[in-house]
Amino acid sequence: MDNIIEINNLHKSFNDVKAVNDLSFRVKKGELFAFLGVNGAGKSTTINIMCGWLKKDSGEVMINGFNLDKDGDKIKNLLGVVFQNSVLDSALSVYENLKSRASLYDIHGEKFISRLNELCKILDFEDLLKRPVGKLSGGQRRRIDIARAIIHKPQILILDEPTTGLDPQTRKLIWQVITDLRRSENMTVFLTTHYMEEASEADYVVIIDNGSIATEGTPLQLKNTHTGDFITLYQASEEDAQKLGLPYEKTRDGIKLSVKNTAEATELITKHPKLFVDYEITKGKMDDVFLAVTGKNLTEASK
Amino acid sequence: MKTLITLTKRNVKLFFKDKGMFFTSLITPAILLVLYATFLSNVYKDSFMSGMPQGVVISESLINGLVGGQLVSSLLAVSCITVAFCSNFLMVQDRVNGTIKDLTISPLKPTTLSVSYFIATFISTAIICFTATIICLGYLAITGWYLTFGDTLLILLDVLILTLFGTALSSVVNFFLTSQGQLSAVGTIVSAGYGFICGAYMPISSFSPALQKVVGFLPGTYGTSLLRNHTLRGVLGEMGSQGIPTSALEGVKESLDCNLYFFETQVQTSAMFIILCASFIVLLGLFVVFNIIKNKKKN
Repeated sequence: MDNIIEINNLHKSFNDVKAVNDLSFRVKKGELFAFLGVNGAGKSTTINIMCGWLKKDSGEVMINGFNLDKDGDKIKNLLGVVFQNSVLDSALSVYENLKSRASLYDIHGEKFISRLNELCKILDFEDLLKRPVGKLSGGQRRRIDIARAIIHKPQILILDEPTTGLDPQTRKLIWQVITDLRRSENMTVFLTTHYMEEASEADYVVIIDNGSIATEGTPLQLKNTHTGDFITLYQASEEDAQKLGLPYEKTRDGIKLSVKNTAEATELITKHPKLFVDYEITKGKMDDVFLAVTGKNLTEASK
Repeated sequence: MKTLITLTKRNVKLFFKDKGMFFTSLITPAILLVLYATFLSNVYKDSFMSGMPQGVVISESLINGLVGGQLVSSLLAVSCITVAFCSNFLMVQDRVNGTIKDLTISPLKPTTLSVSYFIATFISTAIICFTATIICLGYLAITGWYLTFGDTLLILLDVLILTLFGTALSSVVNFFLTSQGQLSAVGTIVSAGYGFICGAYMPISSFSPALQKVVGFLPGTYGTSLLRNHTLRGVLGEMGSQGIPTSALEGVKESLDCNLYFFETQVQTSAMFIILCASFIVLLGLFVVFNIIKNKKKN
């Protein structure tokens, strides 16, 4: 797979504060890329530079082979952004909003109607076209935000905390829409989120802290590197757990043992088969990865 | 061009659909109407009557035409500026609520965006002010119509020039606003203050000599005076033909700012037109320069 985004040695300071400090990473075409960090870690600064809203101090930003310094306008045609807070005109109808935004990409007349019909089918909002955006529910508005972001068929969709503030059902719906879109429009998704379960679905994850990369890899690599495995024993007493000599935690249903990795778990099970009658092995979660790497809890730090 | 038209339509629609912005723009004209309805009208009527030489009888229609002309000129003079400011606040609101990011993530040229705000402000202001002009002319037709066809056309021209001036002035001032607080502050100052400094609430002739000299430097003052001249020329002419002495009429013209002075020199209406047009061109030039500098800084 080719790289669609290449960031090399990016630097950006605000007075004495180094917001982005020698940041380099790659995003492959078509993948779901998660860009994580607490507030102030440098995520927004990086996105603002990529989108051309902010000047970088030094470094190189290449998007689909175009250099940001030379081909800013070409890059703008490749990007679609779903902002954390909806920035559509709440007094205008969905149709009016999409029409005005489509015109920014020189999409008018028949071309606009054709694209609008496509998006209505993909995102299922035909019945909302005449309603003012301000009167839509959170989930409906998010669908329109996504429609606006992809009205010009961008190759990269930047999702800046797209599900923050939405209820679990709507979050699930929005993610279903995004997954379908990736398939149907073959888009690369660049995601920032505070929900670790969303990040764990990503193809590749970069965690930044104080403007630099703290760690990167696939969710599995990160879990294997930065967290251990857990074995939950459902029919065992606390005395049995103590015999194993491993750190454990008593839960309502049983005992939760911490092991270094899956190999250690396998060895333990083969050594004590009578103990492991009803059990479950789970990997550490992305929350644990984030905590281990940055020493901060992403959800808490963002509040 | 299509993009510019669509964006301009968006800006105009947003102004008229945003009830807060729309009604805020009408506050100053509303204050003026309340002032006239409650006491200013009677104050001016009594003032004119007492200023007339003894034995001169003026018809009710003439007095109503005179006071009506003054009300209409004041109303239109402030509306063209305050409505332009409120309409142009959309440019600031787009910055404050982040919509500007959504607009500039696209390959849209910054110039197109700035021009769309400018044209939309002009269109919104013109729609409201020309509608107000028609209503005002209707009011004069009921209370006392002494306007010639030429004066009516000149009033429309005054409104057009003042609308352009208001659009350019608001574009320059609002260019620097970046927060809701600044927006509210400017809105309040313009709504409350412009009526005074342009001589709409009280004639400039009633100001202290020092203040009269200061407001002489403000182009908007000449806009009010132009409208005064054109709304009152007919009624003053009729008064003259009914035998009111020229000295008394000159006194009325002085007191109503039809005669306006820059220090000791009387400013002719043709000069007033030139001042307003030149001010518009200078402000427009400043707006263009500010945008060029801003775009260069970005790049």
